[in-house]
Amino acid sequence: MTAGPAAALAVRDLESGYGEVQILWGASLDLAAGKLTTLLGSNGAGKTTLLRTVMGALPAWKGGVLFDGRDVTKLSPHEKAQLGLVLVPEGRQLFSTMTILENLEMGATPTHARATMREAVNQVFTLFPRLGERRTQLAGTLSGGEQQMLAIARGLMAKPRILMFDEPSLGLSPIFTLNLFEIIRKLKGEGITMLLVEQNVQLSLAVSDDAYVLEHGKVSLQGTAKQVREMPEVRRAYLGL
Amino acid sequence: MSVDALVPSAIDGLMLGFVYGLAAMGLTLIFGVMRVINLSHGPVIALGMFVVYVLFTGAGVNPYLGLIAAAGLGILFGVAIYFVAVDRIINAPELTTLLATYSVNLMIVGVATSVFTTTPRAVDISLGSVGGSGVTILGTHAVAVAIAIAGAALLYAILFRTRIGKSIRAVANNRAAAELMGIDSRRVLALSFGIGTSLAMTSGALLSTLFSFTPLSGATYEVKSFVIVVLGGLGNPTGALVGGIVLGLLEGVSTVFIPVSWVPVLEYVIFIAILLVRPTGLLGARA
Repeated sequence: MTAGPAAALAVRDLESGYGEVQILWGASLDLAAGKLTTLLGSNGAGKTTLLRTVMGALPAWKGGVLFDGRDVTKLSPHEKAQLGLVLVPEGRQLFSTMTILENLEMGATPTHARATMREAVNQVFTLFPRLGERRTQLAGTLSGGEQQMLAIARGLMAKPRILMFDEPSLGLSPIFTLNLFEIIRKLKGEGITMLLVEQNVQLSLAVSDDAYVLEHGKVSLQGTAKQVREMPEVRRAYLGL
Repeated sequence: MSVDALVPSAIDGLMLGFVYGLAAMGLTLIFGVMRVINLSHGPVIALGMFVVYVLFTGAGVNPYLGLIAAAGLGILFGVAIYFVAVDRIINAPELTTLLATYSVNLMIVGVATSVFTTTPRAVDISLGSVGGSGVTILGTHAVAVAIAIAGAALLYAILFRTRIGKSIRAVANNRAAAELMGIDSRRVLALSFGIGTSLAMTSGALLSTLFSFTPLSGATYEVKSFVIVVLGGLGNPTGALVGGIVLGLLEGVSTVFIPVSWVPVLEYVIFIAILLVRPTGLLGARA
């Protein structure tokens, strides 16, 4: 498998896990620049482990991560965020004792994001008007949907070159989920390279350009989202058709 | 007789309470940010006393200028303690961090005792006094209160108004998420340890203008800080300041009725009572 010239992020034969337990067994994938890629897989397939290893929150045992062709495997999460590789983590992970505005300010920690922080705040308030109305409210007091909006908004504040989402629709109502996918579609229009890990296979395949299926810590299927949607294995296992 | 002494003694205690509170804010800040119970807290308070003492007796530096030096050195020294003793075990269970900071405690006490011996020292400074009719307030006490309040205000301004202060709160709240946002959490932890140490040393500097001291004096104030922190809620700087004032006041009032040597007993009784009745502290804990 070779990285196409347009691969913004290339994951190569990645192996990692927790303690003695190996979860990833040589996973490889490419994120094409400006494209939305979705990563499917059942619970325990290693999706979150892959994201955490890519970010450096978990050490890679073998294999590597290339960001614009540069080997960033060993960089810590904050160094990767500085480069523009940003993860909106599972379970939102907000700064619950801080206000919405302070959470956004913390999102704008990378040096390249600081100068334009004020404009970025206005942009995310345009995208999520509800957050603007409650800017001085503590993040911990928001509803689940509002918290997810804030988690995404905080990620956007970093001016990401690559934005990765881990289960953003988890625990959201169907209305909020549709809302969320509308926003992801909008972001795609702005040309941000994105990786989406989602339990809602139907919706994520519908908005994505490319798709990968992770099984037992390895990529088992890949292609354009359209191709993957038609694969019999995917139709049976993930779409219930 | 004893009732006549009540008011001045209460005022004295109240004023001291601000200085206790300042030290306790340092202890509680470090715990709140990194869940480390800093057992080097007491010796660091004593170090603050000796910075003022050495500058004052050695070079004639005004104790309040010496205090600024102690505050600055406190940051550097705290960062050094963090990298030498705490950083490598930051994710280890609490017993490990207790032992690591306790070893720092022993080292400071050992070196300071060999250098300064245990002969009591004092910084001879008088700023006069105000008042009359039974209630007099020493100038050094009044200045100590003002500086303690200024120190607490400065801490809050840093934590709530500056980016680095907000990063400290973010790391305290969710270290993993802070890393994902690009915050170098290790640097933030080191700085927090520095600020906490600086608060303790500043408090020690103030105490040096009020009482005589030895390298072992920190232990007394360390115990007070622990009582205060439990009183005010672990990890809560406001609680530490309020707890300090409460403890100071209690001390002042109680010495009218019981011998001074019984004050530590009273402190431990309060400590245990709070743990039994209201373990989150009077003001509750804030993450």
